[in-house]
Amino acid sequence: MQEHGEADEARIAALFRDAASGAPPPGFDATQVVATSRRITRRRRSAVAGAALAVLAVVGVGVAAGLGGPSDKTVATASGQAADSAASGPGAGSEGAARAAAPEAAGGSGAGPALAAPAPGSSPVAPIGTPLGPGTGECADRQDPALRALVEQTLPEVAGAPEAATTLECRPGGERGVALEVGGGVLTITYLPPGAVTEPPDGARTAPTASGGTVVVASRADRAGDAAPLADRLEPAVAYLAPRL
Amino acid sequence: MSQGPRNRAGGSARPGEVADAEQEFDAYFRARRDAVRRTAYLLCGDWHRADDHAQAAFVALHRHWRRIRDRAALDAWMRRTLVRTVVDETRRPWRRERAADTFPEGVAEGPADGPADAIATRHVLVDGLRAVPPRQRAVLVLRFLEGLDVAATAEVLECSAGTVKSQTAHGLAALRAALGDSLEDLRPAG
Repeated sequence: MQEHGEADEARIAALFRDAASGAPPPGFDATQVVATSRRITRRRRSAVAGAALAVLAVVGVGVAAGLGGPSDKTVATASGQAADSAASGPGAGSEGAARAAAPEAAGGSGAGPALAAPAPGSSPVAPIGTPLGPGTGECADRQDPALRALVEQTLPEVAGAPEAATTLECRPGGERGVALEVGGGVLTITYLPPGAVTEPPDGARTAPTASGGTVVVASRADRAGDAAPLADRLEPAVAYLAPRL
Repeated sequence: MSQGPRNRAGGSARPGEVADAEQEFDAYFRARRDAVRRTAYLLCGDWHRADDHAQAAFVALHRHWRRIRDRAALDAWMRRTLVRTVVDETRRPWRRERAADTFPEGVAEGPADGPADAIATRHVLVDGLRAVPPRQRAVLVLRFLEGLDVAATAEVLECSAGTVKSQTAHGLAALRAALGDSLEDLRPAG
């Protein structure tokens, strides 16, 4: 390493300070910061509440199916719904829950063809309906609740993980993103719409999605040299997300 | 995972506490906004994006503010958040930065001596920093703009002091290589 003395450091510091001078007027104030913070908090609470409702619906339907017993009629209905799901696209959340839960309650013999391989963990596996596809906002949602819900289906351990800081830069609205602080680093999931150029970061897993876009799942450790968190889960995660995006 | 400033015990805050917390955040924001913007600018090289990064860091801070107990760690937390935001942005699929193999056009055209060249000198250094890999750039900015010592820089970046020293040396070498003779003050003292 080349040594540089105090005089050297002082001259360099002066250069840096000078380079950072001449700032234009700030583009944001405290009011905007607070408003953005509150908006994100409200949106996150809504997403959490929605996810909780979906889980309750799954559990409720599962319990109801269990109480009703594995009659032939139940199995037939569940199978029919599952078959329908493949043809008719996204159902209401409760319908999806029924499709996911009923075959299991019936002994697993009637699982529909659209069900994906079970994700690690105990969360129910959501059926594959119409893919989520591009976002519709004016700017990309960097913490997209719909994408996060899908991520939490395949990586249930990140449920409730705090959102990692992201920029507020307005990206094309078709993109979706989720960035989460997980044990020892940051997990990022990005959906890029059809036609977007992809150059994934090192170690990232990518796959073309059902809507013609690309999903990129990456994680990095906070400390250089540490293992990236969930590194062994990226591959199954991208496999789970690709047909749903 | 990086730990933010320690959180206060949970529980609902009274309205007075909420108002106090908002006032405290406002005071911190006003005291630190310009410094955070300057740091973000040298990290990313563009004032618009710097504002974007700085705002994102303050938003993240505000979301955690009422749970923060260790206010002495605020600056380090903000710096860490800011660096992470900028470095992550460079790694995103839509905006990956590469260390430049060649010198930015129009930068290495001779020393900037006169006062009239002050603005050009600023741009020279900022352009040169863009050629430095992001983590090394972060070390340089924290050490030479923020004035942090090796230990404090290591704390912000959550790495060892040895890593900070080596990245300082590598970063300066990369910066000097990018700038050539453009900035005399960046040459090693003879």
